[in-house]
Amino acid sequence: MREDPNVIVMGEDVAGAAGRADQGFIDHAGGTFGMTKNLIQEFGPGRILDTPISETGFMGAGVGAAAAGLRPVVDLMFVGFVGVCADQIFNNMAKMHYMFGGKVKLPITVMAQTGAGDGGYAAQHSETIWSIFTHFPGLKCVVPSDPYTAKGLQIAAMRDDDPVIIFQGIRSMGANYDDQHVPQDDYEIEIGKARIVRAGTDVTLTGIGFSTRTCLQAAETLARQGYSAEVVDLLSLSPLDEETIFESVKKTRKIVITDEDYPRCSVASDVSALVVEQAFDYLDAPPRRVSAPHASVPYSPALEKFHPPRAEDVVAAALAVLE
Amino acid sequence: MTTTEVRALTYAQAVNETFHQEFERDPNVILMGEDVAGGAGRDDFEDAWGGVFKLTRGLIGKFGPERVRDTPISENGFIGAAVGSAAAGLRPIADLMFVGFVGVCGDQIFNNMAKMHYMFGGKVKLPLTIITSTGAGVGSAAQHSETLYSIFVHFPGLKCVAPSNPYNAKGLHAAAIRDDDPVIVFNNKLLMGGVGTGPHVPEEPYEVEIGKAHIAREGTDVTLIGISYTTHLCLQAAEILAQQGYSAEVVDLLSLSPLDEETIIESVKKTRKVVIVDEDYPRCSMASELSAVIAEQAFDYLDAPPRRVNPPHTSVPYSPVLEELFIPTPERIVEEALATME
Repeated sequence: MREDPNVIVMGEDVAGAAGRADQGFIDHAGGTFGMTKNLIQEFGPGRILDTPISETGFMGAGVGAAAAGLRPVVDLMFVGFVGVCADQIFNNMAKMHYMFGGKVKLPITVMAQTGAGDGGYAAQHSETIWSIFTHFPGLKCVVPSDPYTAKGLQIAAMRDDDPVIIFQGIRSMGANYDDQHVPQDDYEIEIGKARIVRAGTDVTLTGIGFSTRTCLQAAETLARQGYSAEVVDLLSLSPLDEETIFESVKKTRKIVITDEDYPRCSVASDVSALVVEQAFDYLDAPPRRVSAPHASVPYSPALEKFHPPRAEDVVAAALAVLE
Repeated sequence: MTTTEVRALTYAQAVNETFHQEFERDPNVILMGEDVAGGAGRDDFEDAWGGVFKLTRGLIGKFGPERVRDTPISENGFIGAAVGSAAAGLRPIADLMFVGFVGVCGDQIFNNMAKMHYMFGGKVKLPLTIITSTGAGVGSAAQHSETLYSIFVHFPGLKCVAPSNPYNAKGLHAAAIRDDDPVIVFNNKLLMGGVGTGPHVPEEPYEVEIGKAHIAREGTDVTLIGISYTTHLCLQAAEILAQQGYSAEVVDLLSLSPLDEETIIESVKKTRKVVIVDEDYPRCSMASELSAVIAEQAFDYLDAPPRRVNPPHTSVPYSPVLEELFIPTPERIVEEALATME
């Protein structure tokens, strides 16, 4: 925001207690997860816009502001709220550049929080559903997996001239990454690139967001059993870094794809289909998908912890392809 | 009519017939949507439309405006009303005109319709049918030509079916209306426009079971999987392949959720090769899902990788020249099939 005066932020409670500054309520929330904290003090209410609870309204305003030359960052809060602004996202944001023959650019960033397994948010506030965004041409979709990639991808998204949806795992935001260095200087992580977070030779495990952490845990367990697992952190779902995935699979000849999302028509299915199509002759075993079950997210904590993939599920799938 | 005579209806006539029959069978069946009658509130214009694709023609004259409700242009409103009335015991049919309009009622469909049965511990049933039109090829541009099956199939709690001809259109609509769960019926515009007219459609009511695929043509060398309109493209491709000496089996998917994995896997185990043809955008599509399921369950039977035939990852063009290139063609299917058989 310091770098570019065109950057604005919109969403519910991105500052908090809109219009009650006189009562000392300014920046009361700073976003549900504290991501937009302290912005209003430095940049003021002209650039940090607390909106009414109308995703249709502020998502539409974001699209319009982007078309008119600003660079808005819009906080959708929970990804399931896409239901009330899907027309703005799927029919306007994804298609305007195309429908106006490239004459309109939409440098907009949408932040959406995803995932079950930490907090009992129940069926409507625990979804992942990045697949339905990835499905639409015209949207870039990225999923950071830790603080370092969160900073770099957020900056890349905000500087990108196309609409970018950035999915932030609720468990990633709560996890401990104390051992990780995050440079204070600004840096970008290129959208469209996956990264190898652990090199290995026996089996490829692909992770998305928090499930990358799950894959790393599984890789540790597999190492104790004598298997060397390579972990690929997808980072970008659309565009997808097919090359890095294929390179890894050609080396290990086996792949387990993890995805917290519902299984049908998921990113896991898409990666499986791509790998089979383009690396069939290299595969020693069929690609395995480890997704959530085809069921809504349970409210019961006992059941909820079984919904997203767990490290033991990944290990079991990996052992099955290694046999 | 003798038993050997073919009773050929158009797709729209077949669906219309099933609506009339289901309205007669069950007084709880109601219909809501934009212009499902037409000329709302103006007696002189009553039934001016009968739905954009004429699927609901004649219903208001027979069953009246209480059961056949022309709604304002607010999908959020009438899909929500359909969810509520289903929860309260009616058996509504809601017409979502073009599938892309899901954008303005996504919350009602994905968060209420798909989840209420689950969230209320099974105590609420939602015997609700949504009919919606899909597909490119009629010059309706990017926002009115989408297919989007995959985003509905993605959500647990929704059944999704895609008829391919007048016979299964009649039977699947009847099955959807009688089903106690929410069912989305995807009706392709080219099929409603007359493509695929021909098979015998019995006059008496019947159901086509949700969750079952259909072998539309038997063969031994390669499996072609079609969904709705693309089943016809697969059948055309199978003809071309036959002329070249190859025997293609065509599986008509019919039900996208639940998916008839057994029929698909059986066919692939026989032919050992598969081409999946889907008119939807390619990423996270039904085609991807089928490819993944086949690889997981029939890997050792495959002589070649499953091939997907989808449109490109781009919006639907308005230009007719480009739109023609968007939809899969029999030629592309043949090309992919030959690639698996080399």
